[in-house]
Amino acid sequence: MPYKVLAFATSPRRHGNSETLLDWVLASMGEEPDVAIEKVALDEVTVNPCRGCNACEVLNMCVQRDDMDMLHDKIVEADCVIFASPIYCMGICAEGKALVDRAQVFRSRKYVLKLPVVSPERIGKRLGIFISTAGQNWDIVFDGAKMSIKCFFHVTEIKDRDILYLLVRGVDKAGEVETHPTAREDARTTGKAAVGRLREMNR
Amino acid sequence: MGQGVKVLGISGSPHRHGNTETLLDAFLDSAREAGGEVDKVVLKTMEYAPCQGCNTCHKDGVCIIEDELIPLFDRILSMDALALASPIYTMGITAEMKGFLDRAQYLWARKYILKTQYFTREHIRRHKGVFISTAGTGWENVFSSAFPIMTAFFDIMGFEYYDNVIANDMDRYKGIRNHPTALLEAREKGGKVVRVISELKKGDSGERIQERGRGAI
Repeated sequence: MPYKVLAFATSPRRHGNSETLLDWVLASMGEEPDVAIEKVALDEVTVNPCRGCNACEVLNMCVQRDDMDMLHDKIVEADCVIFASPIYCMGICAEGKALVDRAQVFRSRKYVLKLPVVSPERIGKRLGIFISTAGQNWDIVFDGAKMSIKCFFHVTEIKDRDILYLLVRGVDKAGEVETHPTAREDARTTGKAAVGRLREMNR
Repeated sequence: MGQGVKVLGISGSPHRHGNTETLLDAFLDSAREAGGEVDKVVLKTMEYAPCQGCNTCHKDGVCIIEDELIPLFDRILSMDALALASPIYTMGITAEMKGFLDRAQYLWARKYILKTQYFTREHIRRHKGVFISTAGTGWENVFSSAFPIMTAFFDIMGFEYYDNVIANDMDRYKGIRNHPTALLEAREKGGKVVRVISELKKGDSGERIQERGRGAI
């Protein structure tokens, strides 16, 4: 069975810097024989924001009916979940935050209802990758985003040590990542490292 | 006292009259009692799109999306105090609040790219921004990702990032009304911000009130 990779391009700007970086990672992973990739652009699906109703703490499911129903199952089934978002105003974009917040159902399942999010034998075998680009060059520009993304991965049973990061600063204009000195190679390395880790974890 | 001080509260919670909006209301009520002209906007009731990242505004300083946020940004720029309220969801502000804040990109472009918007130090000192938030978890760092976002937004809008009214551990307290200090703090700070701005508007005497607040006198 190939490793299932589920990749989210959350930017409202299609084929911009963060999605390009994601595509490079996916191309690198896709060269390997044991990988099956599915990419979802949030632009093409409907994921409404969390309403904060806390009903999932009782129902073990979300009260909203949208494409998150389908994505929920895909997140559970994936061996590797990739989240790509640009940094807007020191945080991930609003579309990406809506997806992160809708993972509340996993948080309720794991921490409130104490039910399994994935079957026990898959714990410790799931990988997460956070891919991001920022226009600013500040050291701290990804810090806030990482806090939310870590939660997203933790509640979906992806451990902290099993999260890889590919973060590129100083790219703002459309296509600017193409001219970045190391981004393309870094993406390729990240893709190969991810497949290596998946094999290691699932040995 | 406090007359002519315009205060706008913006609630970014999808959950009406929940912990964060209740805290915002306490802040705004007290600002009103101090003589402020107070109003509240609830993002959940508005129609708007998130920033599309098209960067068109970098060229002309105008957002291509014409919706309810453009008049709201105009209104914010005419305020003396701005209270931004969002609960923390998954270690960050809500998608509604982020969707709103990111749309200020055209004002960022005016200030930093086109250089057509400039706020004097005096202007910034007289315009106060307050962040109001609650979080379910008791973690110390639960507001850490929100602070840089607020810093950036208040800077774009020409407001001094003046204060926070934040309360974590809501899950344990079972709601803001059971929190020992948060609502009192919101009430204290709502009135204070109106009084401080009122003094600043009169002239230099505002400085002394601020200094006294810090215990310097």
